[in-house]
Amino acid sequence: MTKPKTLVSSIAFACLLSTGLTTLAVAAECSDTIKVLAQPRDGLTLLEDYKSEFEKLSGGASFEIDYLNENDRRAKTKADASTIGKYNVYYIDEANVALFASAGWVAPLMDYYPADYDYADFDPGRQKVATYDGKVWFAPITGGGDLMVYRKDLLEAAGIAPPKTLDEYIAAVKKLNQPDQGIYGTALRGQRGSGANVWRWMPFFKGFGGNWFDGKTPVFDGEQAVKATETYLELFKYSAPGSQTGGWDEAVGAFTSGQVAMLIESTPLVGMAIDPKSSKVAGKVGYLPPPAPLTGGGYGHGLAIGVKANKDEASKTCAGLFIAWATSKENEARRLEANQFSELNRTSIMTSPKFAELYGPDLGQALAETGKLTAVNFWQSPQWPDLGDRWGIILEELITGTRSDIKEGLDELDGFAKDLVARSQ
Amino acid sequence: MKQKNSLPAVFLTPAMGILAVLALVPTAYAIYISFQNRELSRPDGSLIGLANYIDLFSDRRFINAIGVSLTWEAVTVGMTLLIAVGLGILLFECVSPRTRNLLALLFLVPVILPRVSAAFVWKFAFHPLYGIATYPYKAITGQPLDLLSNPATALATVALVDVWQWGLFFAVIVLKLLETLPPQPFEAARLDHARTWEIYAFIALPMLKAPLISLAFVKMIESLRAFDLIYVMTRGGPGIATETLDMYAFSQGFIESGRISYASSMAVLMMIATSIAFTFIWKRVQ
Repeated sequence: MTKPKTLVSSIAFACLLSTGLTTLAVAAECSDTIKVLAQPRDGLTLLEDYKSEFEKLSGGASFEIDYLNENDRRAKTKADASTIGKYNVYYIDEANVALFASAGWVAPLMDYYPADYDYADFDPGRQKVATYDGKVWFAPITGGGDLMVYRKDLLEAAGIAPPKTLDEYIAAVKKLNQPDQGIYGTALRGQRGSGANVWRWMPFFKGFGGNWFDGKTPVFDGEQAVKATETYLELFKYSAPGSQTGGWDEAVGAFTSGQVAMLIESTPLVGMAIDPKSSKVAGKVGYLPPPAPLTGGGYGHGLAIGVKANKDEASKTCAGLFIAWATSKENEARRLEANQFSELNRTSIMTSPKFAELYGPDLGQALAETGKLTAVNFWQSPQWPDLGDRWGIILEELITGTRSDIKEGLDELDGFAKDLVARSQ
Repeated sequence: MKQKNSLPAVFLTPAMGILAVLALVPTAYAIYISFQNRELSRPDGSLIGLANYIDLFSDRRFINAIGVSLTWEAVTVGMTLLIAVGLGILLFECVSPRTRNLLALLFLVPVILPRVSAAFVWKFAFHPLYGIATYPYKAITGQPLDLLSNPATALATVALVDVWQWGLFFAVIVLKLLETLPPQPFEAARLDHARTWEIYAFIALPMLKAPLISLAFVKMIESLRAFDLIYVMTRGGPGIATETLDMYAFSQGFIESGRISYASSMAVLMMIATSIAFTFIWKRVQ
């Protein structure tokens, strides 16, 4: 039964590659080295194995990718784009796309993205976060929403059904927390940052009905934010050690090393948790959409065309071609073949027989269901990183106990938000 | 004769010229933009006088950063010198010259290690679940020890890494300084039945006063540049418990806000405070 399936998927894969070869014919004339500033991603590393293919496609151009971790990449892209502009292509994300677009640091992508590469094939959620002010600014290389990922063996042993509501989830986390046996109920993100602790807190805030702004007036300082913070702090009592000042790496590391019963995290966690190479709990993992009323944190990271380094239209076209090639169906098919789940963004790939063969129908189903809950939880504004990071510091203080008054923290943020809006006008 | 006198100027001028370009131009520019309201996303700022400086003194993170920076400076300089002198004397007194040389070589390893690498190694060593440094506590009590997440211990834990790097290196310097001292005063003191601690407290260390003060100055300057260590190990957290002035200025300039004028005003204040403090200490010591 497996053999015909493999045969079918191999044929599909070959067809996809051959489609790619036809696009090779659409060659542009580029000869310089395209400099890319990114954060480490398996998909980009894989891309470096096919440099010669891009050279042929572009008419002689090559590319160099510099990698920095997420926070450093954000700081460096901002500094580079606003000053010397050394990089032709920037790795940007949902949290700073508004800033980069409104500051004029990146060019509208679709003006330079060859139509053959089918931008519309990207997951609609990722297209949404790549769009600001009615224009598309980046081509996704990772993204998604949230999933509740749990240890089936631990839940079964404790006689707990996978939670569907937040109350059930909190009760299950409390029951499953057994530090004396090296198992913690959950793992959250405590590290300050709009993309760290605030990112995991926002589904509670939005799920409880919170909103950031009404026009230019901050409206977040209310009972929804207080309740969200109280719930987040309550759950932190059962969060794995190290997560109080940790981010994605610490939370995911604690789960894949078998020390956490369940957590709500971004969808790439599933790929890591079910892969025996990166997970001690592969084979014991279940996944469902986040419990109601939590929303999923819709996110997307991708490649955008830098304005300063690409002084003329020709260089922008070359950068656009590189981005199109890097995020093309062919390259994404290679990522699928290399089992890089978190690097998949195209609908045609995620609905392909090869995807179903590798990850089973359950994951496809869970992704489809969580897509319905996925929302843009953050404030879509150039000032968002500033506001989000400030709340990240206050939230980290609340988590680690240097501050205890939630309302006072929110009031401080409210004052900061008002200053921020005033400064931007 | 006249030609001879102008030779120093001939050699000094290019070096001073380069220094002026590399140091004075950015400094002057930082002072200039500190009087503006420039942001990375809005390079067309306007002059706002002393507004940034006034805002700083009502900014709780800035006030906190002053406290953290002063604590960091006092703890790392004090502990480094204490460890260096203690360990240097211990090696000089109790270890054979051959073993001393071997240990001196080992003690140099931490300071040779790049700061960022050292920070990553120790960050992992202090991890509450997998860290080797916290393992004994976990094995004995059954409870994880999260030193870097605790506001009461985070700064001291990072300072420990700084002292590990520099204390051992300075211990080697103190050892070598002790080896260069003439033996006669020590022999005379022993003939007068002086105890070992008295020999070091009243003879050896006063003889080493000048080099020890120099070491203290080197460490004070080095401690001001601990950004990389703190950035990797805690990023200024938990909350703002380990956020030093340079860390906060960088956050404001590049990580969070892009408020480069505001960050520059902090840098200018730091420059003024450091210059005054060092001049004062230097004069006092002299």
